[in-house]
Amino acid sequence: MVSVPETSPTTSTPPRGVDVRGPRFGAWVTSVVLVVALLTASGLLVALQAVVFAVGAFAGLRYAPYGVVFRLFVAPRLGPVREREAEAPPRFAQLVGLLFAAVGAAGYLLGTPALGAVATGLALVAALLNAATGFCLGCELYLLVRRALPARTLAR
Amino acid sequence: MSGIGAAVLVAALVVTAAVAWWLRSRNGALRSASAQEDGAVTGQNAVFERLGVRPAEADLTVVQFSTAFCAPCRTTKARLQQLQATRPGLAYVHVDAESHLDEVRELDVRRTPTLFYLRRDGSLLGRSSGAPRPEELTALVDAHVGAQAGGELA
Repeated sequence: MVSVPETSPTTSTPPRGVDVRGPRFGAWVTSVVLVVALLTASGLLVALQAVVFAVGAFAGLRYAPYGVVFRLFVAPRLGPVREREAEAPPRFAQLVGLLFAAVGAAGYLLGTPALGAVATGLALVAALLNAATGFCLGCELYLLVRRALPARTLAR
Repeated sequence: MSGIGAAVLVAALVVTAAVAWWLRSRNGALRSASAQEDGAVTGQNAVFERLGVRPAEADLTVVQFSTAFCAPCRTTKARLQQLQATRPGLAYVHVDAESHLDEVRELDVRRTPTLFYLRRDGSLLGRSSGAPRPEELTALVDAHVGAQAGGELA
């Protein structure tokens, strides 16, 4: 038998975790909201979506508005939870969504609708990818950003 | 209706479809390490050694780089640990990318999970990024872990 060195244990997984269908549902709702926001050029709607992201990112998915809707109205119709996942990845995704949505809302509300539309479009790409394939763009980009940071600090 | 908004919407849909297609074809696909210079290989081996990887102790050693925010990392890790439990020739090393950023840069790990497959002689069979499909991962492992009954005899 081969002994395997565990170089560093993963961050401890919370015992319960979230129903995987919750964040997927939230991503679909987010996509619809962002599509409507794009078509109506509504900075207010993007700002509202930014607030939704902020609640999920800072207060936790338990309090995320779309998550609450999912738990109260959708999950009871879907049957028992079949799969749970750790909260950290979808919660980080909310933070990435917040960054795009905040730029998008600022763009629309401060008079640069082109910037607003592009940032909102990027948030839509991330939300749609997550909704349709379960892929988390922010989670993937995290390491790229993280490994670039100290180097950039040195370059300055 | 906003003209810019509609244009951005169409672009977003196209980009999403393209990225989804790219991920489908690339995730977990093994890229072999044939065209490498000797110097790079030596450097790589030193990096793996620093991470506590001992390829000589198994037919195939899989090194996985993960981050805490990566859901597919968790499923891939669970799958590999399962495979390891039933295949004595397989060794598995899990590396938290964030606490090993120097190694991440040296090995040019960009996405998580990134997997490195090392032969017993320390040479790199290949690498893959993104979560591999379960059946493909199992097939890859079984193709390189001695199918001989050596495990049971030892």
